[in-house]
Amino acid sequence: MSDKHPLTDDPELSGLLRRSRPVAGLPPRFQADVWRRIEAAEAPGRPDGWLDWLANLVLRPRWAGGLAAGLLLAGVFAGTWQGRQVARQEAQMNYLAAVVPSADR
Amino acid sequence: MNRSFIILIGALALGAVIFAGAFAAARQATVVCCTKPADNLDWLRTEFHLSEAQMVRVRELHEGYRPQCAAMCAKIAAKKSELDAALAGSTNVTAEIQAKMDEVAALRAQCQTQMLQHFVRVSQTMPPDEGRRYLARMKELTLGSHEEMEQSMSGDSGHEHHH
Repeated sequence: MSDKHPLTDDPELSGLLRRSRPVAGLPPRFQADVWRRIEAAEAPGRPDGWLDWLANLVLRPRWAGGLAAGLLLAGVFAGTWQGRQVARQEAQMNYLAAVVPSADR
Repeated sequence: MNRSFIILIGALALGAVIFAGAFAAARQATVVCCTKPADNLDWLRTEFHLSEAQMVRVRELHEGYRPQCAAMCAKIAAKKSELDAALAGSTNVTAEIQAKMDEVAALRAQCQTQMLQHFVRVSQTMPPDEGRRYLARMKELTLGSHEEMEQSMSGDSGHEHHH
């Protein structure tokens, strides 16, 4: 028993069927629009407000490193200045303890 | 919004930890490095920019003054003990208590005079401007506390005694 249908080999019938289901043409600049959408989807989301903008900035390695280094330096400077004040105060107290009679304090 | 907020809070906390750590370490290191508890006169050298020769003279004056100061402290302490003994069994300010208080006050005045004389002598070993600054500072640090107490007890501060 043959699998072939006698009608499927009829070229006239095949052409008639193809014409009855026309394929719609692509809109103009379809390919360019597809690429534009792909690029937009892959690009990082634009910040919505100052909070997002700041968070994005903080997450950038260069900015994060700079901020950390700045804070470290500021801490060292402030701590050194404060330490000098404390040491100066202690030295003054040592001198006072040595010259001011304890009975007078 | 929520994600950005959490990121910023985390960054702030991390920044605070970095700053606080650096501050504490630098402060401690500076205090340890710059404090010389063995030398009581070190403050004079740094604060009033004294030379080695001036420091030698100051040290001589200081060593000469210390026994006088200690002797005066011992006298005041002995007189205060006598005053305490007189006050112990008394409910009134007797003539004896009054006399002891006068003696303690006189000794304290004498002690302060001696101390001021020492400050003047030390100031004379310094350059004139530094000497004046030293005297003013010592007056503020020693007699200033008494003046503050007197002012707080006087009517100037709004405090009044009601009898």
